[in-house]
Amino acid sequence: MAFNILLVDDSMTVRKVITKALQLAEVDIGELFEAGHGVEALEVLENEWVDLVFADIMMPVMDGEEFVRKLNESGAIKELPVIIVSSAGSEPRVQRLKELGVRDYIQKPFTPEQIREVVDSVMGVSANE
Amino acid sequence: MNDQTQPTLEQTFISVVEKLTFMFGEQVEPAEIDAGPETWVQSILEFTGDVTGSLAVIVPESLQPEIAANILGLDADGLDTREVLDDALGEVLNVVSGHVIMALAGPGANFQLSPPVNSILSLDARDALLVDENSTAFLLDEEPVLLNLKLSQE
Repeated sequence: MAFNILLVDDSMTVRKVITKALQLAEVDIGELFEAGHGVEALEVLENEWVDLVFADIMMPVMDGEEFVRKLNESGAIKELPVIIVSSAGSEPRVQRLKELGVRDYIQKPFTPEQIREVVDSVMGVSANE
Repeated sequence: MNDQTQPTLEQTFISVVEKLTFMFGEQVEPAEIDAGPETWVQSILEFTGDVTGSLAVIVPESLQPEIAANILGLDADGLDTREVLDDALGEVLNVVSGHVIMALAGPGANFQLSPPVNSILSLDARDALLVDENSTAFLLDEEPVLLNLKLSQE
C-alpha cells in the first residue's frame, strides 16, 4: 500500500534525509509533499490527500506545536497520523504533543530502521506491503 | 559553566555528530588547531527557556561540502550551492543544540531554539573565537571544528 506523505520542516536537508530514510526503509511512497512550516503544511492538506505527516517542532511562521494544535482543533488529527521528528523533544513537550493527538516522536538523528518501525506502528501495516 | 558543562558538551557533540554525519570527532586543545589563511563559516543560534544562551559551530569553509554530503548521503563534488551547505551546517547545529541543552538541563527541560544564522567570519573574528574561553576545539575526521557555548544563567 502506497502512502502519500507530507514532510514539514524548514530545513531542506532534513526533508531530503527523511525522504532518503523512507526509501532506504522501503516504505511504499505514493506522492511526497513538502512544506517549510505549519502554514504551508495546512495549505497542502487543504488541497491534497495525505496519509501520513512528519513534522519538526521548531519552525518559522508556524511551529510544529501550533500546527498540531490546528489539526487537533479541526479534528483532522484523529484521521491523519502525525509523527514529530525533532531534536528539541523534551519530555514535557512530547507529552503535550501526544495529548494533542501526535502518534509518535522520533529524535534526530535517526536511522531508516527507526523510521520504518514508527511507520509500521502508526499505519498499522507493514509499510512496504 | 559548572564542572559538568564542558565534558557534557564534548561527549554530546562527538556522539551526535558521529550519528548525524558519520564523521569521527575528538576534542583537542585550541592551540593544536592550525587555522591558516582559510575562510571559516559560523552557524549560531540562541536558546531560551530553562537555560538561556547561544551555541555556535565554526568550521573551515572547505569542510562544509563534506558535512553536507555525509548528512545527505551524496557525493561532495555535487554540493556547491551556498544554500545547501549552509542549511546542512545549520541542521548540525540545530541537532547538537537540542541534545546539548537536554544533556545540561535534563530531559524535562523547557526550551526554544532560534533558527540558525550563518555567516562567513573575518580572520580576526575566527582567531578571536579560537582563544575565546567559551570555545571548545575538535578534530572532525582530522579537520578542525570549534563549538562556542555561552550560557547566560546556570
